[in-house]
Amino acid sequence: MTDTAERALGQATPLVSSPRARRRSELTRRDVVVSTVLTGAATLPTIALAFLAYEMLRSAWPAIVFNGTSFFTTKTFTLGNLYATSVETHHGYQAAAGAHYGVLPFVFGTVVSSFIALVVAVPVSVAGALLLADKVPARLQGTLGIFLEVLAGIPSVVFGLWGVYTFGPLLSRTVFKWMAALHIPWLSGPTGAGQGLLTSSLVLAVMIVPIIASTSRELFRSVPVLSKEGAVAMGMTPYEAVRVVTIPFVRTGIIAASILGLGRALGETIAVLIISGNALNLYPHSIFDPFSTMAASIAAILDGALTDSTHMAVHALGEVGLLLLVITLIANLGGRWLTRRFSTTGLPVGRGV
Amino acid sequence: MSRRRLTDLTFWVVCALAFVFIAAPSVSILASVIHQAVPSLGWSLFSQRTNANGIENAILGTLVLLVGVLVVAGTIGVAAGIYLAEFATGRSERLLRFFSDVLSGMPSIVVGYVGYVTFVVAFHWGFSLLAGVIALTILVLPYVVKTTEVAFRQVPTTIREAAAGLGIERSSTVLRILMPPAAPGVLSGLIVALAISTGELAPLLFTAGFTDQNPSLAPLHRQVPYLTNVTFTDLSLPGARAHATAAAAAAVSLVIVVLLITAGRALSRRSRRMTQGMML
Amino acid sequence: MKRLILLALVGSVALAACGGSSNNASSTTSTTAGTTTTTSVTVTTGNPTAAVTLNEAGSSLLYPFLQELVTPLHTQYSNITLAPSPGGSGKGISDAISGVVQMGGSDAYLSPGQLSANPGLMNIPIAVSAQAVNYNLSGVSNLKLSGDVIAQIYEGKITKWNAQPIAALNQNVTLPDTTIVPVRRVDSSGDTFIFTSFLSATNTTWQSGPAFGTTVTWPAAPGELTANGNPGMVQTCKATPGCIAYVGVSAEASAQTAGLGEAMLENKAGQFVQPSSDTITAAAAAGSGNVPANLAQSLIYEDGAQSYPIVNFEYMVLKSSQSSSDTALAMRTFLAWAVDPAGGSSSTYLAKEDFVALPATVLPKVKAAIAQITG
Repeated sequence: MTDTAERALGQATPLVSSPRARRRSELTRRDVVVSTVLTGAATLPTIALAFLAYEMLRSAWPAIVFNGTSFFTTKTFTLGNLYATSVETHHGYQAAAGAHYGVLPFVFGTVVSSFIALVVAVPVSVAGALLLADKVPARLQGTLGIFLEVLAGIPSVVFGLWGVYTFGPLLSRTVFKWMAALHIPWLSGPTGAGQGLLTSSLVLAVMIVPIIASTSRELFRSVPVLSKEGAVAMGMTPYEAVRVVTIPFVRTGIIAASILGLGRALGETIAVLIISGNALNLYPHSIFDPFSTMAASIAAILDGALTDSTHMAVHALGEVGLLLLVITLIANLGGRWLTRRFSTTGLPVGRGV
Repeated sequence: MSRRRLTDLTFWVVCALAFVFIAAPSVSILASVIHQAVPSLGWSLFSQRTNANGIENAILGTLVLLVGVLVVAGTIGVAAGIYLAEFATGRSERLLRFFSDVLSGMPSIVVGYVGYVTFVVAFHWGFSLLAGVIALTILVLPYVVKTTEVAFRQVPTTIREAAAGLGIERSSTVLRILMPPAAPGVLSGLIVALAISTGELAPLLFTAGFTDQNPSLAPLHRQVPYLTNVTFTDLSLPGARAHATAAAAAAVSLVIVVLLITAGRALSRRSRRMTQGMML
Repeated sequence: MKRLILLALVGSVALAACGGSSNNASSTTSTTAGTTTTTSVTVTTGNPTAAVTLNEAGSSLLYPFLQELVTPLHTQYSNITLAPSPGGSGKGISDAISGVVQMGGSDAYLSPGQLSANPGLMNIPIAVSAQAVNYNLSGVSNLKLSGDVIAQIYEGKITKWNAQPIAALNQNVTLPDTTIVPVRRVDSSGDTFIFTSFLSATNTTWQSGPAFGTTVTWPAAPGELTANGNPGMVQTCKATPGCIAYVGVSAEASAQTAGLGEAMLENKAGQFVQPSSDTITAAAAAGSGNVPANLAQSLIYEDGAQSYPIVNFEYMVLKSSQSSSDTALAMRTFLAWAVDPAGGSSSTYLAKEDFVALPATVLPKVKAAIAQITG
């Protein structure tokens, strides 16, 4: 029972241990002490989670009351006039004069950039992982796998640096120019220096590739060799074997890994902060325009929000953070639920593992 | 060539291209960071602090933070992982593990925001080492817990049963007998935690602050410098020297991460060999 | 005998200061050098007995100036170390309020809300600085602009450099048909504060719309870019032909090196001027006639044919009540030394950043504020 349950919840490798007998009468006093200490430690992640959720809710609460539903319908996010002598009051809470806190621009930026990142990253990761798992000879596995590990370990600020100085300008000189020349609506416009929605999405894609690719590689390796070889023996080309045998076997696992990659993209702060151009209240008119995401805007606006003497700006950012927390939670839980229901093998290794 | 063979060839060519799209950025990033860092290389990079275009304080600060994370997240995470692997049962086991997994998806800015609002302001710690270490701990704890748990579960049951048969109490079994074979796996988890901590910025921006001075070991009221901040703020301070310093900070943090990853790989290989050897 | 009286007075002032009560103006000659006013305040300064580090964070406009002051300050007072860091005026103010740093650097004075929510919070000016408007148009130098036109640019109403309103101001210049790319600060910035103050003073739509502040709701100008810090503004503008950006004078040298043009702005008297020590001093003198006791004073768009329109006090934001008497002493000493022409306000340090010293009329009020810092 324990084995399947544990596998269902997702372990990185198959488990070896079998059920441990519980004979309470044989636990010594030292055992009890040790196990109590360990229990305490084991509850700390749960306590940390509860602490985060509670604090976010508590900080967001004044803004939730002040904003009401306009949080989800207002198209602008403005801290108002912090130097005015009057304040606004709604439902008993004060905010700076002229303050409106609408989250739509940030949600739009977050969702669109993460979606594009996913659309680019998943095929690239799966195809690359497939190559690594099936076509690359064993002796090269380690060396080629290094690229994935290096990518996984690069700090997001370095991705930002690279996006601004190398990747962005390269893209704007080449790919973006060609795209703009095609004059497809929303896919053309002033390409600028390479900072904007598309560049950020592509950098996000590069950042989540390691998560998806490492997991996919493990999944591909776990496909029963007999099935693959049987297919080839029946006359299928390697590609057809992949299509018929491998993909159905790993499909759910890959979806789960993609959802974890999505979770990472949704929460990515620093790289987006650097490359996005931080367009407050602007919906990008083209894919090259600056934009803003929930995570990046919290980091960008928090210093300014702290100068609001009514403190409502900080609470409003808390509400944005709470929404981000909820969205990321749903994405991650969705992935785990899918795994529990369908997977027969391993799972997302997360960052860097 | 038949159509099927052609499709096969095209498919694998596409896969190779995809792999190139994975490999190229990683090479490009390393190359561009090193290239931009070169003008700043020299002894003064490591002997001067950030107020004089050096990164001595940032390197020391990062190391201090890493030690803090190792101590705090290391002990808590390993203890929690051992609990989940060896002592927990039933619903509480599943719930604790579930919440730990949920915690691993937490956006780092949320941790930074909560850290600022509570530790820095409400608790009056100010930007401090303790606030930074706690923020990092919250982020990396799930990884340490999971890898520790897996490492312990990989130790064959025969050993546990043998120990029980000899009358050794549970806690001794776990700590003295199961720990050595599990150790490489546990260590590799700690290494992942350190690698993640080296690269984090968002939570530290709002909990650790920054300073031009060398870090002090005081847990409260003293801001802590660290490498990723140098890269981040120097992005907005132009001038070739400042830019090269930022790239140098990025290069050093990459070097630390690469060293950690290499150590981690070596350890997990050793761990696999050890447990395989034990399955007689 | 005289010395005894002086000592007794200084001693009683020191005791009164540590007692926490504020004003102790007495008609004695000031113990700080150089002032010739008859009614002045005695500020207790000196080297603290233990080493004190004064942590400062905030304005990127003020930051280079503070960096210059670190070594001379430490040479003069061996137990005081100034540790400045950039981050934007908004961060400076909020860090000072929350107490994570002892002093916040800000180009913006405190808002009425901040002052009333934080009793004991003070802003003390230590220098006068200014802000230039830079642009990236090759071949065009000495472009004339007015606040009204600039506001319309940042509102997105004027999008081309050769548009009529700009051409009308620059009749003898051929302006290219380039798209204007406005650049603004993304961090909570004192430069944004003084820039938007200028726009509010010259354009009524801006005044009733975004108004002014360290963070404002920028209108949706197409193609607008963002940057972090003054150096970031220079860098972004340098990389973007057709850009227009507001840059603090301490970063002007790098703007010139980057090849950016410096606009001549129309002041209240209708003259077009660029920031120079003369034009900045003129504006500061014109605006310092009636500074309130809390020193929150704007110097934007002042009268005077020579006055440059975007001029501001550089403030240190701090709490009057400090945690220890040593910290309070260090703070008073640093501030008094910083506004002293023989100390921090010497022309060598100021000129390097294109700052000017505080006008003499303001000094007594500044000293009175410094004297309120106790611990």
